Amino acid sequence: MEGNREMGPKLLDLIPQGRKWYQEDRNNTDQEKKLELRLGPPGGDEEDHSAIKKKNTETRNIKKESEDNSFHCFNGNHFSSSNKTTYVPHISHKRTAPGPVVGWPPVRSFRKNLASTSSSKLGNESSLHGGQINKNDDGDKQVEPKKEGMFVKINMDGVPIGRKVDLNAYNSYEQLSFAVDKLFRALLAAQRETSGGEGEEKPIIGLLDGKGEFTLTYEDNEGDKMLVGDVPWQMFVSSVKRLRVIKSSEISSALTFGCSKQEKMKH
Amino acid sequence: MTEEDSSAKMSEDVEQYLKLNPPCSSSSSSSAVAFANKSGTFKSSSPPCPEHVLENVLENVLQFLTSRCDRNAVSLVCKSWYRVEAQTRFEVFIGNCYSLSPARLTHRFKGLRSIVLKGKPRFADFNLMPPNWGAQFAPWVAATAKAYPWLEKVHLKRMFVTDDDLALLAESFPGFKELTLVCCEGFGTSGIAVIANKCRQLKVLDLVESEVTDDEVDWISCFPEGKSHLESLSFDCVESPINFNALEGLVVRSPFLKKLRTNRFVSLEELHRLMVRAPQLTSLGTGSFSPDNAPQGEQLPDYAAAFLACKSIVCLSGFREFRPEYLLAISPVCANLTSLNFSYANISPHMLMPIIRNCHNIRVFWALDSIRDEGLQAVAATCKELRELRIFPFDPREDSEGPVSGVGLQAISEGCRKLESILYFCQRMTNEAVTAMSENCPQLTVFRLCIMGRHRPDHVTGKPMDDGFGAIVKNCKKLTRLAVSGLLTDEAFSYIGEYGKLIRTLSVAFAGNSDKALRYVLEGCPKLQKLEIRDSPFGDAGLRSGMHRYCNMRFVWLSSCVLSLGGCRDVAQALPNVVVEVFGSDGDDDDDTVTGDYVETLYLYRSLDGPRKDAPKFVTIL
Repeated sequence: MEGNREMGPKLLDLIPQGRKWYQEDRNNTDQEKKLELRLGPPGGDEEDHSAIKKKNTETRNIKKESEDNSFHCFNGNHFSSSNKTTYVPHISHKRTAPGPVVGWPPVRSFRKNLASTSSSKLGNESSLHGGQINKNDDGDKQVEPKKEGMFVKINMDGVPIGRKVDLNAYNSYEQLSFAVDKLFRALLAAQRETSGGEGEEKPIIGLLDGKGEFTLTYEDNEGDKMLVGDVPWQMFVSSVKRLRVIKSSEISSALTFGCSKQEKMKH
Repeated sequence: MTEEDSSAKMSEDVEQYLKLNPPCSSSSSSSAVAFANKSGTFKSSSPPCPEHVLENVLENVLQFLTSRCDRNAVSLVCKSWYRVEAQTRFEVFIGNCYSLSPARLTHRFKGLRSIVLKGKPRFADFNLMPPNWGAQFAPWVAATAKAYPWLEKVHLKRMFVTDDDLALLAESFPGFKELTLVCCEGFGTSGIAVIANKCRQLKVLDLVESEVTDDEVDWISCFPEGKSHLESLSFDCVESPINFNALEGLVVRSPFLKKLRTNRFVSLEELHRLMVRAPQLTSLGTGSFSPDNAPQGEQLPDYAAAFLACKSIVCLSGFREFRPEYLLAISPVCANLTSLNFSYANISPHMLMPIIRNCHNIRVFWALDSIRDEGLQAVAATCKELRELRIFPFDPREDSEGPVSGVGLQAISEGCRKLESILYFCQRMTNEAVTAMSENCPQLTVFRLCIMGRHRPDHVTGKPMDDGFGAIVKNCKKLTRLAVSGLLTDEAFSYIGEYGKLIRTLSVAFAGNSDKALRYVLEGCPKLQKLEIRDSPFGDAGLRSGMHRYCNMRFVWLSSCVLSLGGCRDVAQALPNVVVEVFGSDGDDDDDTVTGDYVETLYLYRSLDGPRKDAPKFVTIL
């Protein structure tokens, strides 16, 4: 397939003519990993993309979802105009549960969470034998709150692209911390690589105890910036407006800017 | 009556006629002539000139033209026909509220009785559009209030409607008869109360899948006393309790009521009371279908008897919190049912079987995937008249169990040969099943398959789903609407572009490899009107490939693709009749998230009146 060969010729040659988009061989070498399940054409797009600024090229290269089998760096394939080997993330074989995506599956909000509003659970045969009832004993009908996805923005120092997390998908700070790691690990590594550092992925840990390189903070509905983990989970979920992963070394400056509650409580 | 009396009466009649059918200046004499021809005794002051006779004839003929496509064609013949058509059009359909200004509407059409207005694009339903994007009903109600005092019907979809808008509507149109709000928001029970109270001729009040704020107003009690004209009352989407006694009273004094869709705050006992009061109902939304209290021996109402008495019921829905032990009560109406909506009820195959085996006449069936492949097989075995099937996910997550599959799809295709429309959510699918459906159901006009796991291939062969969707577009020659999913390469889109000759609406998500896919579609699919794409690797080149046709499409939506601002700007500059909006998924301007050249969402649509003036800050119109 002709087209600009801005992507290293290595990649172009290695992709078979048949252009199989799914991988059959489960034993991957590093080379093969680069060829797996890519959604972009091997040679990049036929059209000229040099008009796109290089800065945005690099930015777009990074934008992807790390644990998702799907996105891969199709963006990179399109926008790449650099001679460096474009960052193509490795695709994990395991189907790790991807983070929830906004608006997918395309089901309207009132059709979601039927599991919590209907009077029987998935093992619906059991409801024939007097299964669960949603209502109080005194007969009042409870208005079940609709558990829609509660997406809040999350940014990380050193990563230009913000993401979103669905807080309703988690029940504890640990789960959230784990999700943050999954979301940003590859992005951070990619960002480091493009700025000349090591591109190796390191897990993002210690978000909650101040011991890691990064710490998770949030902004609540009053605009105050706080460390994540101090209040009970549900209280946190009800007041959080956005999240930010900051360098642990910058905790005090990040929180005082905007007059954090912790600071207020000190005085 | 003497001759004098009869001519005096005639004058009154003429006056009355002219009041109700205000003639436009060019055809005033033709209206008079038309009336004269009927009455025979009215003397016109001068003989009608040939032009007016022609317009008069045309007017009478055009009355029979109701299809808007026909009317649009008529209006293009010549200026005279354009004028007459404009005078005689009573119903107008506006597929995109931003394609023209209200002033343009009122300038062209002088005698509208019915308006259908659609606002936001469909992907707004899935949180892909920030709130307060637009589609306000306010300017429309203000303009039509002045221009069309005889307006009778308003049908809105995905519009932002406030209580004030509803109040203005109620005050401005004394003959108002029908209000339908589908997927709308911005209003509450207080707005509904005003409609109920002031629209004394109201026949239809249908709230469908709309968000209605609970202002704690007892709107049902606001319907005036005395006989009501209500024929249809749907409030199943209203998430607040209602005054049941008032509802019962309303039903009692609504002898013409045919359609009643209650919300989940109506219990089974209450439903029973309503059914007893309104045995003439043809369409019933059963509310919760769950009793208020535990059954108490003899006091248990005879639900089956109530259903038996409602001989006319052909359409059943609701079951919002149903209790399986009561499901069989609907058995007496099953044989008559043409439409059954179980899509809020977690019904197992075991529960479905005894019901569905009697539903020989069903044409529309909506259910959750809790009925499983076996349930679908049962449907296929009995429902030979099925035209529309929708299977929704009980657990709409990507990694949920997935109780329906290609097995169910294939069974339906083999049993329900008359199928025209299908929406099917599943976790896994095969090309074979999809191909089977394409071969068995040639009448398909709508095929929407949602494989919930993104990029999932055929789970048996591991191949992309290209061949299945290819078969659909090749074999289903009447297909007008297609939604694709699963792992799809550019090849699938080459099939769609080549064979999708009648496709008007195409939905794409997480599919394709490159701009070629988008090009195939934009260079093919001659009838394409609505294109909605998300999270697919389509960029500026693909976008450019459609420049020749955006003026002839209702809209194009591309979100989370790989468009650049420059590319979108190119389109905007090349096509002055097309409005190009770009915005992010958030409602606020955020410098943290790098936008730069990257376009998160592109929404473009043709417009006669240029860019809208009400765009919020987060929307950039290029």
